[in-house]
Amino acid sequence: MNWWRHIAAAELRKILAFRSDFWVTFIGQALVQLLIARALWQSIFAGSEAEVMNGFTLEMMTLYYLIVPIGQKMLTGENVGFLSREIYDGTFSRYLIYPLSFFQYKAITYLTHSAFYGLQLILIFTAYNFFVKTAGFSTLLPGTLLFLMAAFAYMSIAMIVELLSLWAENIWSLMVLVRFFCLFFGGGYLPLTFFPEELQRVLVYTPFPYLVSLPVRTTMGLAPPNEIVHGALVLVAWAIVFYFIAHLIWRRGQYKYNGVGI
Amino acid sequence: MIAVKGLRKTFTTHIKEPGLAGSLRALVKRETVTKEALKSVDLEIQQGEIIGLIGANGAGKTTLVKILAGIVHPTAGEATVLGFKPWERNNEYRRQMCLIMGQKAQVWWDLPALDSFLLLKEIYQIDDRLYRENVEFLAETLMVKDHLKTQVRKLSLGERMKVELMAALLHRPRVIFLDEPTIGLDLSAQKAVREFLKSYQREFRPVTILTSHYMEDIKELCPRIVIMKEGSFVYDGPLAEVQRMLGDEKCLSVTTRERTFKFTIARTELAARTAEIFAQNDVLDLNIQDPSIEDVIESIMKNGTAL
Ligand SMILES: Nc1ncnc2c1ncn2[C@@H]1O[C@H](COP(=O)(O)OP(=O)(O)OP(=O)(O)O)[C@@H](O)[C@H]1O
Ligand SMILES: [Mg+2]
Repeated sequence: MNWWRHIAAAELRKILAFRSDFWVTFIGQALVQLLIARALWQSIFAGSEAEVMNGFTLEMMTLYYLIVPIGQKMLTGENVGFLSREIYDGTFSRYLIYPLSFFQYKAITYLTHSAFYGLQLILIFTAYNFFVKTAGFSTLLPGTLLFLMAAFAYMSIAMIVELLSLWAENIWSLMVLVRFFCLFFGGGYLPLTFFPEELQRVLVYTPFPYLVSLPVRTTMGLAPPNEIVHGALVLVAWAIVFYFIAHLIWRRGQYKYNGVGI
Repeated sequence: MIAVKGLRKTFTTHIKEPGLAGSLRALVKRETVTKEALKSVDLEIQQGEIIGLIGANGAGKTTLVKILAGIVHPTAGEATVLGFKPWERNNEYRRQMCLIMGQKAQVWWDLPALDSFLLLKEIYQIDDRLYRENVEFLAETLMVKDHLKTQVRKLSLGERMKVELMAALLHRPRVIFLDEPTIGLDLSAQKAVREFLKSYQREFRPVTILTSHYMEDIKELCPRIVIMKEGSFVYDGPLAEVQRMLGDEKCLSVTTRERTFKFTIARTELAARTAEIFAQNDVLDLNIQDPSIEDVIESIMKNGTAL
């Protein structure tokens, strides 16, 4: 059972081969995000004359908006089209020829991307905390791990949509829509504490808060231990459900696959 | 080894008129066309045999190969390869099979070949000794030693094809599907690939199905050929037999002041017809030949029969 390590290593080599300008883009992006979030929330806080808004101080809020974009990258792993593109152009045939499960193969490459961004998360968080003492470090690792679990769950959702490309001509817009929903109701655009009470209560029964809000809040040390444990279990349950549905869809969809391009 | 019975495949595709209006109309009412790519074919191939699958563009060669390699499901019919139904994609089957597509890279574009090989070694669980032996042997016979450390995307078509062959044969498959392995290669590269396939076949005796549009490939490698026309087999038998089919025919090529024309006539009529031609035309040149195997096959591909 060595092959998955090799696939991950190969994927990492691919990522690095393409990202020679990686550090520049990465630090540049983080800085820009930091400045925008800071400026925006500074004026909002100034306008409301409150020290704490829905449980967030200005420093916390800035950190929140620093973590979310990286977390989002972890979730979305490989880009939109990681299956559908290969199905449309026929590269997908490769996984049907090699003696392996394409689900496992794709999960490994996907999570390799996520883990790579996880490393960024750790670096940025540490740097921010170094300059602006906001949160402890003890929750950084659990938070990153939760993000990885969320990435797996989100990947399963994405796989479902991507596999629909076996029937539909174009799933790109659907995928963008799904991504928007997951982020919006997950608290990626605005912390969930800003949402109406009723909506927050309903959302608990959906996978969304566990995809974004939970890992971010865990990373920042805002989630109590029992919430983390409970959340992790719910996340795993959702991930299994979606992964299973993706398998079902493939069971039916494989008859539709035509191996185009040769 | 390979047994195919009544295998059929129909493709359904949506069609749309060109232009924006066509796109809008397609939103409301989607028109479909069905295409019978395979119309119930039967085939038996034994261990160690290599068959050449030929036919015009769109005849259904690749479709047959894709089904046997397990990439697509047939619409009806049966096929077993090594006792497995290919499209069930049993790992046991996939470990003994390979598909090489001249049109489509399978090795990882962004990795040097050697990295791809290491990955395949793990995927196919090839043991260290066999792996070393095989890389050595394949790199030697294909003469690609110098290209194994370069990113595959940077290789030339011919170099890439050799790397593809290597990658596909690392696990010593017992069943080999080659879909136009020499497409786009220059003459010497074609020759190298052919020589390689020949020696590989001699050494390891796999079952091989080869499709190609180059008669040279077929003549060199395939004692037995299957000719396809519009989804059906129109000939399945020894290549030598095809040549004999027109054994008592002659090809005449006549050049007059106005034009050149070619036709085929029975050997027995040869003397009478040539005399006639000389009498009726102002002949500049006359050439009498046995029909080439290409002519015969082309005729079968077009008309379904030798004549
Ligand atoms: N995915 C697909 N969807 C719809 N039609 C298809 C599909 N794949 C193949 N066909 C049709 O099936 C027929 C057979 O195609 P196939 O690729 O098997 O031909 P081929 O003999 O390999 O031709 P070539 O020599 O050009 O490679 C063609 O008419 C083609 O248009
Ligand atoms: Mg073809």
